[in-house]
Amino acid sequence: MKILVADDSKAMRMIVTRTLRQAGFSGHDVVEAENGKEALSMVSSESPDLILSDWNMPEMTGIEFLKALRASGSAIPFCFVTSEGSDEMRAQAEKAGALGLIAKPFTPEMFADMLSPVVPA
Amino acid sequence: MTTIDDLELAREDLESLLLDMLASVLAEDAATAWDDLPQGPQSTARVAIHDGSDDRYLGVVVRLGLPLARVLASRMMSIADPSGDDVLDAVGELGNIAGGNVKSLLCQHARLSLPAAELSEGQIEGVSDGVQVRAVVLGQVIELAVSPTITSDGLLWPPDAMTDTTETL
Repeated sequence: MKILVADDSKAMRMIVTRTLRQAGFSGHDVVEAENGKEALSMVSSESPDLILSDWNMPEMTGIEFLKALRASGSAIPFCFVTSEGSDEMRAQAEKAGALGLIAKPFTPEMFADMLSPVVPA
Repeated sequence: MTTIDDLELAREDLESLLLDMLASVLAEDAATAWDDLPQGPQSTARVAIHDGSDDRYLGVVVRLGLPLARVLASRMMSIADPSGDDVLDAVGELGNIAGGNVKSLLCQHARLSLPAAELSEGQIEGVSDGVQVRAVVLGQVIELAVSPTITSDGLLWPPDAMTDTTETL
């Protein structure tokens, strides 16, 4: 499957990609975006099967990206990977149609628990 | 808004946060420490948390020596020789993780700035008030500081936190 990773930090995009492998999700095609605006554009050009997105990004935030995605009719599974893991933000993410929220700092086990239902090992 | 007393009460949580961050991004065990940061070139990342209810700011700063910052970037990006921009990206992300967790811990309803990182050939002045916690990892000391008096000058804010697109205070 194709996984779109959106984060304004190159280092974090690489960590997310590596953590996917460590969680047992190897062999998937990963494409990257630097912010929500670029990611939204890449949904059309790359047709990802799963989106892992930061929340706090320049140009377009993760929650704006998700809302725009759902408004367009897309049901692509979407999970936040973000430094803010408050109950308030988890509720906001769920309400907007996210699969869930993985808070940084994370572990491969957290990825496995959250993504197993949607990512083949 | 968060006070110095609130920060002191959160000291153990901040120590745990620093250790957890290092374990996650470096895949190394770290230990709480009280040692001084090493002399020589340093790197720092800064974020601000804005409480709109009283228009006050809380600053979060991560400070470390450049050798550790380079190891951090190397490990995070799986590259042997990270560039200056790579180091800034990695240290900035560490600041972002710290800021997001401090926000979740102390003021969930507030908003978080984007991180700003810098490299310096010399010592970068530390935070003189608030709470500072330190850890040693790979034999080097790193500091996490949270202060209610750190300036938010020059920091950028994500677009949904301001009326316009990314804006500088």
